[in-house]
Amino acid sequence: MSTQSILGLFHQAEPAADAMDGLKEAGFKLGTFDVLTGTPYPEGAFGEHVPQHRLFRFPAFGAIIGFTLSVFLTAVTQLAYPMVTGGKPILSVFAMLIIMYEMTMLSGVIATVVGIVFESRLPNMKPGIYDTRITEGWIGVVVTFDDDSKVADAESVLNKAGAVEIKHA
Amino acid sequence: MASEAIAHESEHHAPPPQVDADVIARELIATTTGASGRFKAWAWILGILSIAGIVSLIVKFTDVGDDSTKWGYVAAMVSFLLSVAGAAPMIAMAPVMAKANWVRPITRLASIFSFAGVATLIMLIPLVAILPPLVTEGARRRTIWYMAPDYSPHFWTTLGLVLLLFTGLMLFYSAALPDFASMRDHSTGWRQRLGKRLARGWVGTDVQWRTLRKRIGMFGTFYFLILVFVNFLISTDFGQSMVPGWRDAIFPMYHTISGFQAGVAGVVIALYFSRRFMKLEKYVHLDAFWSLGRLLFALTLLWVYFFYSSFIVFWYGRSENDIATLNHQIKGPMLPVFLVGVILIWFVPWWMLIWNRVRRGTSAMVVGSFIILIGLLLDRIRIFVPAWSVPGDQIHQKWLEVTPEVYWPNIFDILIIAGGISLVALIVMLMTRVIPVLSVWQVQEFNLLAKPIKYVRGHATLVAKPD
Amino acid sequence: MQQRRELDQVYINRKLLNGQLDTPKWWAPTVTFLGVVVVIGLVVISIMINKGLGVTGLSRPVYWGLFITTFVFWVGISHAGIMISAILRLTQAEWRRPVTRAAELLTVFSLLTALVFPLIHAGRPWRIAYWIMPYDISRGIYPNIRSPLIMDPVAIGTYLTGSTLFLYIALLPDLGNLRDRTTGWQNAMYTVLALGWRGNPRQWKMQTVGGILLSALMLPIFVSVHSIVSWDFAIASAVEGWHSTIFAPYFVIGAVHSGVSAVVTMMALMRWLWKWDDFIRPEHFDALARLLIVVATGWLAFTFLELTFALYGQDAPEIALREMQMFQWPWNMLFIIFFLTAYLIPVPLWLFKRVRNNIAMMFWTSILVNVGMWLERFLIIVPGLARRTPFVYTWEAYRPSGVEWMIFIWAFAWVTFLMLLFSRFFPLVPLFEAKESQVFTDDVMIGRAKVPAIVREAD
Repeated sequence: MSTQSILGLFHQAEPAADAMDGLKEAGFKLGTFDVLTGTPYPEGAFGEHVPQHRLFRFPAFGAIIGFTLSVFLTAVTQLAYPMVTGGKPILSVFAMLIIMYEMTMLSGVIATVVGIVFESRLPNMKPGIYDTRITEGWIGVVVTFDDDSKVADAESVLNKAGAVEIKHA
Repeated sequence: MASEAIAHESEHHAPPPQVDADVIARELIATTTGASGRFKAWAWILGILSIAGIVSLIVKFTDVGDDSTKWGYVAAMVSFLLSVAGAAPMIAMAPVMAKANWVRPITRLASIFSFAGVATLIMLIPLVAILPPLVTEGARRRTIWYMAPDYSPHFWTTLGLVLLLFTGLMLFYSAALPDFASMRDHSTGWRQRLGKRLARGWVGTDVQWRTLRKRIGMFGTFYFLILVFVNFLISTDFGQSMVPGWRDAIFPMYHTISGFQAGVAGVVIALYFSRRFMKLEKYVHLDAFWSLGRLLFALTLLWVYFFYSSFIVFWYGRSENDIATLNHQIKGPMLPVFLVGVILIWFVPWWMLIWNRVRRGTSAMVVGSFIILIGLLLDRIRIFVPAWSVPGDQIHQKWLEVTPEVYWPNIFDILIIAGGISLVALIVMLMTRVIPVLSVWQVQEFNLLAKPIKYVRGHATLVAKPD
Repeated sequence: MQQRRELDQVYINRKLLNGQLDTPKWWAPTVTFLGVVVVIGLVVISIMINKGLGVTGLSRPVYWGLFITTFVFWVGISHAGIMISAILRLTQAEWRRPVTRAAELLTVFSLLTALVFPLIHAGRPWRIAYWIMPYDISRGIYPNIRSPLIMDPVAIGTYLTGSTLFLYIALLPDLGNLRDRTTGWQNAMYTVLALGWRGNPRQWKMQTVGGILLSALMLPIFVSVHSIVSWDFAIASAVEGWHSTIFAPYFVIGAVHSGVSAVVTMMALMRWLWKWDDFIRPEHFDALARLLIVVATGWLAFTFLELTFALYGQDAPEIALREMQMFQWPWNMLFIIFFLTAYLIPVPLWLFKRVRNNIAMMFWTSILVNVGMWLERFLIIVPGLARRTPFVYTWEAYRPSGVEWMIFIWAFAWVTFLMLLFSRFFPLVPLFEAKESQVFTDDVMIGRAKVPAIVREAD
């Protein structure tokens, strides 16, 4: 059984939301249909499943790694190769803090970016069915099937909601 | 895009259902009348503490009036009260100028704090008498008054603080005009008479509204400028210039910024209690706490930034006066106070407020605000008490050769501290009996400008942004 | 203000992608010209490295001159990006939308330029590796982490990496758009860069949440970078005029002043060159000018404190320095120009609504600010060193050489060159922000008045 999907294209947000409602009523499981837009809409505008994410864990994780590395770079290297400069103690905490701060933040930012990409489920080199007019303001409702029997159901829901065009893949 | 107003489901940030303007006026004005037993009990306690504080101040003045080394705690209190009561009204003004809607309902509460400026002024009176003139024993100490007359700091600080009080009251009054009119129309007894007298014939014509907005903007700007000026004078004349060799250009800004932090904390505490005990949940939304929380978080970070910017320069500098200053302010006898202060003013609130969950709630926010205020009080004590502990004959040296003994508080100092804080709390409490603690017209405006809407299938708020 | 128009997405695509899909005629000749200037600059730099720093005007006791001034200047300009992008994102200011990308770009490119100056200023740039990179255990020495000269590269490296990643993340939706509009090798390039962007709710949510989170993380970095640059000077207790505790916030707010002004300059150029009148509107200049009034006045307060507390100690050397900085030729002339251009001319002008909404006026005043802010850095750095101090037998004024001026000009050409090159491949105004603004703004009727309104999500 091959996975296949169809994409209904709409001019307006309202019919696209109708289509999403229709799919829900027709018994399609959450996660098998999704809406594609060329611009962000207020959350829940299409009655879509609000995605859960764990983005906030990434910076915390990154910051811990960065902090650990910075402790190593500032404290351990100075202790291993002690050389007094400027009459300051070998472990000059107040100077070390600055470098530790920067490295912690850097690592936090990098982890956040990784997190954003990961939580967006990117990179995705086989993104599936798509239409370039979505970035011109059309709204796409994409439905994925495990078995072909429900394709007709989905198509009729999309048509009933007022889809301008339906694409198959 | 067309949008239809609907009743909103109870979500964290959802504004509560729309309330009619007349209901708002009636309900908010009703909050001023009557006082619960608990309210009265607290008012008595605070009143007695305030009187005890003032009496202690007088006793101290007659007792050790000529010895400036004994006045550190009063100086710390002037600085602390200026921070809380002086900065709070500004907190309401700044977001208004940035057209933030969430702040509208709470501007009254913030500007009530200007009345508490009286407490600062009471503390300042003996201190001005004690503050040494610029020239003592034929030598001039280092101040910002290079060639000015000997009593310049005394004069300008007093003038600045009086001006601040006056501008704060004008700011309060110009924003309160429409509410006095509401009191005239909906209240009874002395409140109605007061409203009638103070509303000065307000009926809400277009011209009156325009003038009102202009006046708020004008007094708000003046207030801000005077506040920065007074912070500058108090921090230098009553702090820095008392210590030979302490040259810290950032200190006035540090003083101002930490003052704002205390001001926001004060507003959060007052907002929490008035919301809870006057049942204002309908009008004070969690959104206000959320936004105040973010502001408080940012100011907490700014505190540590300003502190570190100053500290690192001394720490690296290592000249005699750098070392002497560090010993005097931080490493010396005040070290424990300093450390506890840093933990309370920065570390704990930073760690608390970083969590969305804390800023979305009210109880953790109020706990955090109390912690910040305690931390700030310790910070002011850490700065001003050693500064005033420098003996008068060393005050004009090039730098501090010996870190002086620190003066620890006696019972009078403790009563003065407690009394000053009580007086601020008492004034704010009593003002809530005079005028609605939330500005009636601004709550109405808030409801007019923000409407819950349905956006296709989702819920959102449509916020109007008039010029 | 009602300058917003309802725009259709096809129109937005066509207008905002004109740099990539329909490159303007002036583009190629301009880039070629700038390329030539850049190459000449690189040749001059090579000559300087080959001959040594003797070809510059640097000499005892002024070792920090035009190069370090220009370094601080470009680090300052780089503060525009995060200031605009992060603060306005966090405060949800609607007018940020057309400004963010250009501001972030300015951050990245000006930082890249700033980095060059301390490198070439070292005379033998390759040796910098010894004191920056923790690589050489066999020498038994690690970089001296107590030195601000180490803190600088660490901070700037962090800022550069962070803002580049920030820029890329915010570029993703627009890369998806470009992928949809192009064919051939361009399509292949954008397909790879867009990482398979589709625009489902999860991806949009990550854009919003991630954008706010990154802003919150970048803000403290932005503040730290210029503070650390300022500590290069402030911790040196031996040079009068440098050892001041106020330097960190003073530098930061000065950087914001010059950076936001640079964004104004750039916005005006973008509106004129790419004809983006629908997107970059007078109301945006108005908002930026209001912000600049506040920032500039804050900066003035810090300048006042800096001066007050310089004289506060009443030490003879410090007073002598200030006298030289303000009253002795040629410093006094520079000081007057600095003060006029950084504050006294532009800020009073911005108080008038007519000026704030006049793009040509905003363009010229914003350039004035940056002339002034460059001079400010010059007047902080050089007089402190050039002053006659005890036991020093040379103290004549420093005169930058032709080589230094050429490298100074190179920097401006280089930043503009990079910007234009970027504009050939990527949109300078975020398309999805322009479209989002169409979705999230609305007009409400309050009585008979039409008031602009914003849709706020429950976050």
